[in-house]
Amino acid sequence: MIPDPDHLPDATPTPPEETRGRSLLARKWAYLLLSTVFQPLPQSEFERELLALLDGVCDDVYGEPFDTTRSHAAGVRLVELGCTVDEVLPRTVDTLGRGLLAQQEFRPERYAERIVLAVGALASGFAEANRRNTFEQQESIKLSLLKAVRDAKWTVKESEARFDEVTMSVASGILIADLDGRLTRVNAAIAEILGYSSAELTGINLFDIVHPDYAPALREDYRDLLDGNRDRIRQSQRLLCKDGEVASISLTATLLRDGDDRPGEFVTVIEDGTELFLLQNELSRQALHDVLTGLPNRQFFGSHVERALRRADREHGITLCHLDLDAFAVICNGLGHRVGEHVLTEVGRRLTAAMSGENAMVARFESDEFAILVENTATTPAVARMVAHINDKLAEPINANGHRVAVSASIGVVHRPSPNFGSAEVLRAADTTLRRAMAAGRGQWKLFAAEQDERDRRTDTLAAAMPGAWADGRLGVGYRPMASLASGAVAGVEALLRWDHPDLGTLPHDRCVELAELTGLSLPLGEWLLRTMCSRARWWQQRLGDDLPLAVALTAHQSTDAELVSRIVGVLDDTRVPPTRLTVWLPVHALSDIADNVRALAELGVQTGLSDFGAAVGDLALLADLQVRSTRLARRLVTRQAEAEAGSPLTSALAAIGPLVHRAGATVVVDGIDTREQADWWRSAGADLAIGDLFSGLAAHFS
Amino acid sequence: VTRPQDWVPPNVDVSVPSIARTYDFMLGGAHNFAVDREVGAQIEKAMPGLRQAARVNRAFLGRVVRFMVAQGIRQFLDIGSGIPTVGNVHEIAQRAAPDCRVVYVDRDPVAVAHSELMLAHNDRAAVVRADMRDPDAILASPAARRLLNLDEPVGVLMLLMLHWVPDESDPLGLMASYRDPLAVGSYLAITHVTGDNQGDGLTEATGVIERSKSVDQVTLRSRAEIRPMFGDFELIEPGLVGCAMWRPGGPADITDDPDMNALVYAAVGRKADR
Repeated sequence: MIPDPDHLPDATPTPPEETRGRSLLARKWAYLLLSTVFQPLPQSEFERELLALLDGVCDDVYGEPFDTTRSHAAGVRLVELGCTVDEVLPRTVDTLGRGLLAQQEFRPERYAERIVLAVGALASGFAEANRRNTFEQQESIKLSLLKAVRDAKWTVKESEARFDEVTMSVASGILIADLDGRLTRVNAAIAEILGYSSAELTGINLFDIVHPDYAPALREDYRDLLDGNRDRIRQSQRLLCKDGEVASISLTATLLRDGDDRPGEFVTVIEDGTELFLLQNELSRQALHDVLTGLPNRQFFGSHVERALRRADREHGITLCHLDLDAFAVICNGLGHRVGEHVLTEVGRRLTAAMSGENAMVARFESDEFAILVENTATTPAVARMVAHINDKLAEPINANGHRVAVSASIGVVHRPSPNFGSAEVLRAADTTLRRAMAAGRGQWKLFAAEQDERDRRTDTLAAAMPGAWADGRLGVGYRPMASLASGAVAGVEALLRWDHPDLGTLPHDRCVELAELTGLSLPLGEWLLRTMCSRARWWQQRLGDDLPLAVALTAHQSTDAELVSRIVGVLDDTRVPPTRLTVWLPVHALSDIADNVRALAELGVQTGLSDFGAAVGDLALLADLQVRSTRLARRLVTRQAEAEAGSPLTSALAAIGPLVHRAGATVVVDGIDTREQADWWRSAGADLAIGDLFSGLAAHFS
Repeated sequence: VTRPQDWVPPNVDVSVPSIARTYDFMLGGAHNFAVDREVGAQIEKAMPGLRQAARVNRAFLGRVVRFMVAQGIRQFLDIGSGIPTVGNVHEIAQRAAPDCRVVYVDRDPVAVAHSELMLAHNDRAAVVRADMRDPDAILASPAARRLLNLDEPVGVLMLLMLHWVPDESDPLGLMASYRDPLAVGSYLAITHVTGDNQGDGLTEATGVIERSKSVDQVTLRSRAEIRPMFGDFELIEPGLVGCAMWRPGGPADITDDPDMNALVYAAVGRKADR
């Protein structure tokens, strides 16, 4: 079942359980916020407030039709409660994101997508309200400043010093002008902004230091103040500096009246534009832009896609490219993060340049992902040409900190999506297409195809459901015998995963592993698999008195896991299985370096091996470098042998593997031996151990 | 014609941060200007947990006001009230007992203007612009005369205030002139930054304030120097302790960092019967 945010999942909440789960989550949320932000409410009241917000979010998750209004409002309310420090949003998203998914009422994961969307709406409500709140507070402190000036002004004759104190205590420029605009007093800050001395400014006309293009309109505005049509004016302005430069500033002005309520003087507060500008920029960057590259971020891009879809030219439509830089982690790890950041900035610039002829937006998503939205016209090049153009731009090496770095990108393209697609669907389609392109190797690009997407989504759905299935005990461990090809006797046992899926039947080991790799579940799951086997092995030993070798094949992720060695040591210690009894196979084509893990395991006494082994020279070189004890041939090679003509080049090459591996001091294991003929062939080719249907009779040994 | 030289002091650095606005920034408020945020960020860099110390000090304010209201106090004098963002004395006190009256005192003209705007519609709270070193002027101000009855017990708050008063200004004598006019049963709460058991970060942080040319400079004091500020007032349990340790009730009241929990000493004293 694929989660669909627009369709209500067919389950209804059960009140008592739900109440308890939510209270606990609200309490945890309150605890985490209270330990970072000052909160005037007593803790119990604050918890009640948060529980009410949480209930709103949950109502959204259940709502029909799906709608995130209450989640959005919850984000706004958090700001109203004064929870405005930086840590509030990450803590909230993290707590609710995980906490709601783990709530009993939302299990199994059919609500996952709705929860993600609701928490996202809360985050956007928070961001908007926080931004608004910041501006309101900024506005209010400026009003206070203005008031302080005015209050001081009333008593200026008694105490000029007091006026100075006010005007000196702020970095804002203050100009006092008579009703003709002639400056009678200025403070040092405005003199500094404009590059004059205070004395030089005094006596000249306010409108003479305003950019001539703007002065006439500003004069009108001051006239309005004088006539009482407005109490206050506030606008961005351009002032002329002494050196002829133009200063962008923010200007606030009011009219002071004397004791008889007659117009007296103009008070103008000038804020160096850079301050307000920086603040504005910073806020809008936080909300909408990526800090490093200055490009729009995912949120901004998403809303832009939404608008573009609505206004898209029917004939030409839009094209969305989702890019991921190949081997970016290698650049960062090898050359440092500074180089990595430089590369990202440069890539952003080049993508922008590459699309300069189009109506396009380039955005940076997280880490090394970028996206481009093109609103196509009659002259927009075909997708293949556009992609080639992007790749050409990226191919030119980038100079960074003395290094020349060449990058390539994998690209997923959605071209002229169906008019029924919303922005979330287009973005998701581009993302899954990108994943397919990445799976095909470096520098590849793929075009979105609806059918493929459907398959990928099924896989993603299964992968997302896997942790729940594990928790519910629907994942199991099975055992396969390894046989000695020489004697036909049991020579070891390999542990395999199995998922008894209610709808799809039993999913075999390879499928389980593929799914677990998608979510990172493979790390804990792999440890569990090993632990289950090792515990079982003790039982076999006690019952049957045998101490057969135990074997487990690792995935790419597992074999590069920094915790691999400590996980294995932990399991062996707990189950008191001697390390020498265990064989661990690591894939020869793991994405990054497995050498450290192999060496550390070998030092422990664990028997190490390379899986997916083939006849390639690189495989043999790795074998020699790592000095592992065994190799396990890729199953596709075993299948090819069975289908090949005797004496074909392939079988000759396969026949050579055994002796070569033996010369390196390792043994050969073959998987997928189903017939006596295969077993005979491989025995004569020098293979030592075999796994496959032919030996299933031996499995009774372990049951 | 006014000659500007007469009223603009020469060589004045215009980027003068305000302690009140910097504190607001530390608490997550936006009632501040760039120079305040800059100083705040620098101080925080020197003492990475300082935002948390600001938070627990503000939480102490809440606890102590609620404590005093529970003891029957209905009138408060908050010296050095700063820029009110959230959790101000009148909000907390009037929430607990709507008849509470509050007089705020600050020297910063912008902070005072801001408070006036905020309190415009609250006839039981007012702000006085005065230097805390002038207790007579404060107590004689129209707002204090209107809202405080010195024949009844008063809750006096001097939070994060006295370390801005250098020894030359005789803080002990000053405190005596605040305590003396108070009725028996009055309470005095003080929080004060200390160098006791603190590392180099604090020295760097105070250095930032010195270099910022702020009018205010920090005087760190030890426990032995702070205790006499209460004179013959009896200290309420648990006495003079790190402000996080003063009757904490939950995660809002403490931090994970023992240094930040102890950066500010806090105590509450009560004027005993003769």
